[in-house]
Amino acid sequence: MIEFVDVTLTYPNGTKALDELSFKIERGEFVYLTGRSGAGKSSIMKLLMREENLTSGQIFVDSVEISGLARREIPYLRRSLGMVYQDFKLLPRTTVFDNVAFAMQVVGAGSKAIRKRVPEVLDQVRLSNKARCDISELSGGEQQRVSIARALVNRPTVILADEPTGNLDKIVAMDIMDTLESINKSGTTILMATHAAEIVNARPKRLLVVDDGKLTRDEEGGLYSLDE
Amino acid sequence: MNKSRYYTKTAFMGIVNNRLMSISSILTIGCCLFLFSVFLLFTLNINFIGEQIKSQCEIQAYIDMEIDGDEALAIQTEIDAIPNVKDTVFESKEKAFENYSEQLGGNSVALEGLASEDFLRNSVKITLVDLTLAQETAEQVAEVEGVAEVMNHQDTVDNVLNATTYIQSASFIIMLILMVVSLFIISNTIKLSVASRASEIHIMKFVGATNWFIRWPFIIEGVLIGLLGSLLALLVTYLGYIPLYKSVTDAFSLLKLCSPASVSGLLIPLVIAFGCFMGALASTVSTTRHLKV
Repeated sequence: MIEFVDVTLTYPNGTKALDELSFKIERGEFVYLTGRSGAGKSSIMKLLMREENLTSGQIFVDSVEISGLARREIPYLRRSLGMVYQDFKLLPRTTVFDNVAFAMQVVGAGSKAIRKRVPEVLDQVRLSNKARCDISELSGGEQQRVSIARALVNRPTVILADEPTGNLDKIVAMDIMDTLESINKSGTTILMATHAAEIVNARPKRLLVVDDGKLTRDEEGGLYSLDE
Repeated sequence: MNKSRYYTKTAFMGIVNNRLMSISSILTIGCCLFLFSVFLLFTLNINFIGEQIKSQCEIQAYIDMEIDGDEALAIQTEIDAIPNVKDTVFESKEKAFENYSEQLGGNSVALEGLASEDFLRNSVKITLVDLTLAQETAEQVAEVEGVAEVMNHQDTVDNVLNATTYIQSASFIIMLILMVVSLFIISNTIKLSVASRASEIHIMKFVGATNWFIRWPFIIEGVLIGLLGSLLALLVTYLGYIPLYKSVTDAFSLLKLCSPASVSGLLIPLVIAFGCFMGALASTVSTTRHLKV
């Protein structure tokens, strides 16, 4: 599904963000990607979205070597990866329905398909009753669920969640975890970057720990300590 | 919502959301395109006046005083046969006298008591195929027996041709400058529009919008600004040109300007196309530079 082979990423200023990193994530897995700030978690996400170009190595998504993709092919890669951010990145002054529908519009979906699909995903994230609400009327947890619905709406094979609980309190964070786990159970692969030890330890899954651009741990059901 | 409706709606929203900048851009583009129209009209009229002068710059062959009637007409036939002669018109001394009186208007009393043959001669007015060969043709006409004198307006023709060329070149350069200015103005407006929608564009990028999907609304926005600017420019141009045309036509019987209707076929499509093209080009340049899509 996702495979990093000896991936090195050096930024133009000379900072080495990733150093010969290798790992493989199988279809349907739920994987935590942890590590301290600046360890390289976001760089991995950026490489997967092709926001950055790797310096050396190979990255495969669904057996496609994505660093070799032409610029015009990148949007099609991104359609297969649903992205969830810590700060939600929702359109302000817009309804819940329109925020989710927007993701379908930009990939050229028709009105009929949008009217059918958006209520389905809003139901999946338990927001059917908020479809016509303005984003500003929602709590942080609800906004994050809208963001998850938007990531899901184009039926991606992978969801990349970059600190999805970072702005939420523990109870709401667990609610988001429930949502992500139910999505994972339906077959979607999830790679979640987080440094929230309480979540990782409360819901143990496969754990990848990066430090200084290198993979230091890869452990099924591993626990995480902030000291790492 | 289909794509084209989405693009158009988003473009209109872009203009409305940045309304002050959009209005100032439309006004500034309007000014540029107005100047463009003025120079275009200027060039068209210079060409038109040049043509009028050229058509009046025919060779005139004056026939000997003693020759009249059929003999004079035979000279016309002989001139007709000279290569490069397109057409000839015989002007009798009586007709010349009549024309002269008309030109003098109120001062024609000065001619009272004078008969035409007293001081005027029969002549043949010659229009040429190629004006640049006027000198050679005039020499050939002068060799025709019975021709007393040949008036050739070659210098006037040359001056008119030179002036027209210079004015055309100058207008072309000014139009190019206006083109660059328009490009810069629309480009700035689109840059602001791009900046105001940065978060939306970022979302579009990570959900997999293609570069062209992101660009199209901005291109349409640029085209709309260019279109509105060009319509404004045309309105102001016609508001100025129609009265100018009327006053020049009323004041000078010999000097004619291109009629507003005759220039419309070129002016309207050209100014609109110019405005829209500049809008599209400026938007493409700004989005390519600033979206990094």
